[in-house]
Amino acid sequence: MIDEPYRWVEAISNRREYIENELATGSPTIGLSFSKGILLLTFGRDRRKIFEIYDRIAMGAIGHPGDIERLRMTAIELAGTEGFTRSAADVSLRRMVTYSFSPALKQAFEQIYGAPYLARILFAEVGPSEESDLFVRLDYDGTMHANSMGGGKNRENFGAIAGTRRGLERVESVLSRAKVSNLRSALEAAIRAWGSGFYAAGEDHPDAPEESVVNEFVKSRLEQYSIEAALLERGGTASRVAFVEVPESDLEAALSKFR
Amino acid sequence: MDGSSAPGPVAGDFLTLLKQRRIISDIPHGLTNHSGLTETVATTILGFKFADGVLVAGDRRATAGNVVMYDRADKVLEIDRHSVMAIAGSPATAWEMARILEHSFQFYRRSQLQEMSVEGKVRSLSKLLRDNLGMVMQGLGVVVPLFAIYDKKNPDPAKLFFYDAMGAQFEATDFASSGSGAAAVRSVLYYEQNWGVSPLRERSREDAILLALKALDTAAEADTATGGIDRHGKIFPIIKTVSAAGIATVSDDKLSELFQAHVA
Repeated sequence: MIDEPYRWVEAISNRREYIENELATGSPTIGLSFSKGILLLTFGRDRRKIFEIYDRIAMGAIGHPGDIERLRMTAIELAGTEGFTRSAADVSLRRMVTYSFSPALKQAFEQIYGAPYLARILFAEVGPSEESDLFVRLDYDGTMHANSMGGGKNRENFGAIAGTRRGLERVESVLSRAKVSNLRSALEAAIRAWGSGFYAAGEDHPDAPEESVVNEFVKSRLEQYSIEAALLERGGTASRVAFVEVPESDLEAALSKFR
Repeated sequence: MDGSSAPGPVAGDFLTLLKQRRIISDIPHGLTNHSGLTETVATTILGFKFADGVLVAGDRRATAGNVVMYDRADKVLEIDRHSVMAIAGSPATAWEMARILEHSFQFYRRSQLQEMSVEGKVRSLSKLLRDNLGMVMQGLGVVVPLFAIYDKKNPDPAKLFFYDAMGAQFEATDFASSGSGAAAVRSVLYYEQNWGVSPLRERSREDAILLALKALDTAAEADTATGGIDRHGKIFPIIKTVSAAGIATVSDDKLSELFQAHVA
């Protein structure tokens, strides 16, 4: 089959369609950077979806739990061995994603007799200042999108993944307008972004929803979904490990608006 | 990309990963130390339980034969938020062990999504010491550490362990010491525990720090390998406390103040 270029292109295109369908129902994961650090937030039904990778790096994911697990373990092993042989300061999300993950995912995707990774990942790395926070969205075919690739490009202070392109656009549109000053406002913005994105992805809703519709939607989802959030704290802590789970009390306070 | 590779014999074991990738090598056997190399060693460390948790202290001297190699060595190392390792013996091996331990505990937490148990952590150090046996038999790289941990979930949360060079682990009831000045330190702590003003476990943080200073000064009095307190260079021991709030390092200013007021 792969002797014929046309068949190969067709096979890849089928494969893409299949994976996109599988990912379409995924619940968005939001990364939002503010003065205290990076907030990662999602809602899930039955399993954890936000993970600590290294001292300043965390990830969120949509996809098959088995594939997410393989990618998560690879990231932890890569970062851990680099941090051990050189130093924690040498562990870089940009290097890890560009040189290790992207080529491997592309290869798995295009080897049409093997199984691709059914996963879409959001990596976040907290830096010394908001300007140095990095978000990278990595797709099943190895394509990646970072909130800034250096140079003069406008930076975004967020990163996100969603099941569908439209869902992602909704999330990003909410996040780009959000005014965030503290953890509370970051949580509220992220919950609203999640609601808008998931609302757009799940059903046939081409237009941006009104705020009241989003609030109502989040409220209805709270019956099946539970919130999950973690913070990559910026500097300041005694330990160099930045990853902390957001306390239950803060989550409840932020959700009270939607209940 | 081999995150999918079958987990080692023990899931979440960082040491296995390092060996698989040949990042650390096994110790060569059958060598003997004919090189005439005089090994650098670090000396006196102590630990005891006090009212808030465990105090761990070490002097700052590292020696090679009768030469003072370094007078600002840090022998009390933070492994994670609630555990501290103190080293006596070869710093080359000990600092590497501390790095492996630190990475092992974090690797376990991140990959297995739970904290390693206290028993697991204590065993990990024991395993590293046993892996080092080949070196010990050759007369190099001997490490005899102390390990202190605060386990919030345990009704008796403050834990202190000491080891022998082969990796046997012993839990100390009240105090432990290691290194060339250990005998002197042990005598001081034993005396204070039994006939002092109050048992060690009832002492305040400040009293505990003071006792650690006095014990190290006593050790330095008769043992040239123990740095003790350098009055001219203002070099003070490293003293850390492990308690419910985490690990706290006693500042040099505080040590200087206590020393001037009560010891000097």
